[in-house]
Amino acid sequence: MELRRVEESIFKVLMILSLLIVVGSLLGVIGTILWKGLPVLSIDMLTKTAEGGYYLGKGGGILGAIAGSLYLALGGTALAFFLSIGIAFYLQKEYSGGTRLSNMTRLSLDILWGTPSIVYGAFGFAVMMYFHMRASLIAGIIVLALLELPIMTRAMEEVIKTVPRELKEVSYSLGATRLETTLRVVSKQALPGLMTGVLIAFGRGIGDAASIMFTAGYTDRIPTSLFDSTSSLPLAIFYQLGSPLPQVQQKAYASAVILLAIVLAISITTRFFSRKYTKYIIK
Amino acid sequence: MSETHIQIDNVNAYYSGHPALKNISVQIPKKQITAIIGPSGCGKSTLLKCMNRLIDLTDEVTYSGRILIDNEDIFDRKTDIVNIRKKMGLLAQKPTPLPMSIYENIAYGPKIHGLRKKQDIDAIVEKYLKLVGLWDEVKNRLNSPASQLSVGQQQRLCLARGLAVEPEIILCDEPTSALDPVSSQHIEQQLLKLKKDYTIVIVTHNIHQAMRLADYVIHLYLGEMVEHGPANEVFENPKDERTRAYIDGTFLADVKIDKVIDTKGNQCPYNFVYAKQALHDLEKGKTLKIIVDDPTAVTEVPRGMEADGHEVLSVKQKNETDWEIVIKKKG
Repeated sequence: MELRRVEESIFKVLMILSLLIVVGSLLGVIGTILWKGLPVLSIDMLTKTAEGGYYLGKGGGILGAIAGSLYLALGGTALAFFLSIGIAFYLQKEYSGGTRLSNMTRLSLDILWGTPSIVYGAFGFAVMMYFHMRASLIAGIIVLALLELPIMTRAMEEVIKTVPRELKEVSYSLGATRLETTLRVVSKQALPGLMTGVLIAFGRGIGDAASIMFTAGYTDRIPTSLFDSTSSLPLAIFYQLGSPLPQVQQKAYASAVILLAIVLAISITTRFFSRKYTKYIIK
Repeated sequence: MSETHIQIDNVNAYYSGHPALKNISVQIPKKQITAIIGPSGCGKSTLLKCMNRLIDLTDEVTYSGRILIDNEDIFDRKTDIVNIRKKMGLLAQKPTPLPMSIYENIAYGPKIHGLRKKQDIDAIVEKYLKLVGLWDEVKNRLNSPASQLSVGQQQRLCLARGLAVEPEIILCDEPTSALDPVSSQHIEQQLLKLKKDYTIVIVTHNIHQAMRLADYVIHLYLGEMVEHGPANEVFENPKDERTRAYIDGTFLADVKIDKVIDTKGNQCPYNFVYAKQALHDLEKGKTLKIIVDDPTAVTEVPRGMEADGHEVLSVKQKNETDWEIVIKKKG
């Protein structure tokens, strides 16, 4: 066979192989969790908070962690959203005009994106120590927002960039201002992409353990105020897996199933409710 | 010559240093159709975009000179460009509905200019959809996405949307180049109707369209204005050699028609079948002129002929009902 043909088939095999690794690992992760977690998943786990000695095999559930994680991730995502959307629009050429400030912002976001989450946690903890604060829901939310911010902003920025220039031209030619064009045309057209950005960031936020370990703390109760410390699913999984008792370890997998289900449910409901708006998109 | 509406004085434009418009000075008459003609890349669209300063959205562009509309210099940084743009409707090359419903597309302009009452907006939507002849086609689905309309309908919607902000001027950038012949004709008829109330500037590379529509013609060539004047003078007796060449070049003056068939009164697919038969009898390389009066045939016959591997030389409207299609036999 000709050498070029051989090359071609080698690369084809390599590509298929990498594809299989990706799909295989995804199925592997989901499969393992479901296989190990589903049998021990019980109503009690979902509806009860942890009783004393839960991690030593006593009764109760992880309702506190579920509620805590939802509070943390929803709060963090909401906070990050309000910051991101502004930054993402500002980074567009019409607003910042490719200035030094916008290039610096982009660079900072990329560096923040690559920063390990434990560093965010350590930073948050240092700030809290300085102000003599205790671990609390609000501190966790702020740290998670910082963690999600670069992911969300960069994703949104790319999406907004793809909005066709013709659409903006039409809006301007009708006498709209930049703000009107942005809010009424660009954000409508970019909506599905903006949502994807939010969902990716949410997924990252709800799954992160290291950044909230010191900032949000850990407790068995459901927080009732922003200044209470709170438990969270990733940390619940961490502590359960760390237990020497096999029946507690198994519950870690059940908790992972719950975490996965939450991410999936949020993703599906968001898309369902935004369908009303996305049908107008110009393709 | 009638009253001047847009006065262009010494306008120069550069794309990253390369001249795109060289010292253009011309006056565009009020309530007439002015056609800007010329080959691709000659600066037609650039000149149009200068008039509503959409050129600001283009990267690395610089411009100088003066454009006066109602005695306001729109190049002056102090001029409120948002309000100036309101005076000028834009009809783009590609129909560009906004990502919203048919109703909201029309209502968008009036709403941003402060119209709030529902019945006022309803009235405007109805008025302008009727004006462009779209009302009967869409009145039962005003809330469906504008992107679901056909391309021709979308372009009429865009025209209505531009008119809804009550401009004085309509700027058209090759408004029919993405449309089929029937939709193009529809838009052309609208423009002819509208010149009673509006100043219209149309950029076109279709010289026949310019002839059908224009009262005044500007010919640009490589960024230079080589000729301008009333349409009949420019088309019948061009002063500049380049204009003459451009007008002649796009005519099929030197194409010998070998056979003419008249399929008037026939409908699709019969006119197509007759044309095919006539073409079959001709030798390779010969040309056939087909006269049709069925609107479907205007698009379907050329399409079918191209699918058979023949070359469509031109599709021209002769009068209200008749069209001429010239085909060259290949293959």
